[in-house]
Amino acid sequence: MAPADPRSGDAIFANVERVNAELFTLTYGATVRQLLTDLEEVEEVNKQLDQMGYNIGIRLIDEFLAKSNVARCVDFKETAEMIAKVGFKMFLGVTATVTNWDANDTCCSIMLEDNPLVDFVELPDTCQGLYYCNILSGVIRGALEMVSMKTEVTWLRDVLRGDDAYEMQVKLLKQVPEEYPYKDDE
Amino acid sequence: MIVCVAVVGHQNNPLYIQSFTEEDDALKLHHIVHCSLDVVDERVNNPKKSGPTLNETFLGLLYPTENYKVYGYLTNTKVKFILVTTDLDVRDADVRNFFRSFHAAYVDAVSNPFHVPGKKITSKTFANRVSTIVKSFGLSSAG
Repeated sequence: MAPADPRSGDAIFANVERVNAELFTLTYGATVRQLLTDLEEVEEVNKQLDQMGYNIGIRLIDEFLAKSNVARCVDFKETAEMIAKVGFKMFLGVTATVTNWDANDTCCSIMLEDNPLVDFVELPDTCQGLYYCNILSGVIRGALEMVSMKTEVTWLRDVLRGDDAYEMQVKLLKQVPEEYPYKDDE
Repeated sequence: MIVCVAVVGHQNNPLYIQSFTEEDDALKLHHIVHCSLDVVDERVNNPKKSGPTLNETFLGLLYPTENYKVYGYLTNTKVKFILVTTDLDVRDADVRNFFRSFHAAYVDAVSNPFHVPGKKITSKTFANRVSTIVKSFGLSSAG
C-alpha cells in the first residue's frame, strides 16, 4: 500500500479531539503555579517545565508522525518548517513562523503569533525570571531527540516579560546517526 | 463621570478600589463604598419575592447622596462591584453595560494563575482595562 499523502496541520486539527481552550489554559496555569509552590525557586521551575515538556515530546512525536503522514525531512530546515506549520497547528491550533536562519542552517527562530498557554496570565514581580512557556521548548527538544536530532531550545522573547512576540531559538547541536543497540551475535 | 469603582469580596474584604478624581478625596469615596456594602447586604437578605429579580446580578441604584449615585452588582460568588458616579441622570442600560464589561474584566483577572482568590487584585492589565471601561462609560448614549 502506498503511503498516504502528508496532511496539512489544519486538516489534522479539524479531526483530532480537542478540549476547551480555557480548560487547557487554566490547567497549565495551575500546574505552573503548583510547581512554583513546590519547588520555590524560579530556576528549578524552569528546569522542571522543560523536563515535563521533554517527557511529553518524546511521546508526542509518535502521534505526530502517525497522524500527519509526513515523509522524512531532508534537512533541518524542512524539519523546522514542519514543526512550525504542522506541529503547532496540530496540537495547539496556532501557526508559527520560522525566521532568522544562521549561515549554516543549524539555528533558527520559531515565532509564535498567538500562544494559547498565556491567556489571562500576568507574571507577578516575584517570578520575573520564569519562562512560563518553557514546556513548549521542552516538547520540541524531546520530539527532535526521538528523530535523532540533538537540539537546544531557548526562549529569546516572551510577551509576558515585556517583549513584543514569542520567539524560541532552536539550535541543532548534532545529528545522531541511528544506532541499533543490538549486537549481531545476540 | 465615574469617580470610583470597587470590587469587594464575599466577606466584605476590599479586593480592588480605584478612584478617578483629581482631588484628594479617595478617603471620602472609600467611605461611600463602605457604606454601600450595608445596603447590598440589606438587599440580599430581604430579596423581593418576585421571580425575575431572584437571580438578578444587577442591584440597581443602592442609594443617592447629594453629589453621588451609587450602583451595585453582585456576582453569584458573592463578589460585589460598586460604582460611584457624579452623573445625576444615568441611564440604567448604561450602568448594566458597564457592569457587564467590568464583570468580564474581573473574570479574566481572576483567571490569572498567579492571582490568589480572596486576595487583592494587583494586575496591571485589569487596572488598564477598568480605566478604559470607565472612560467609555456613557459615551454610547451621549454620542
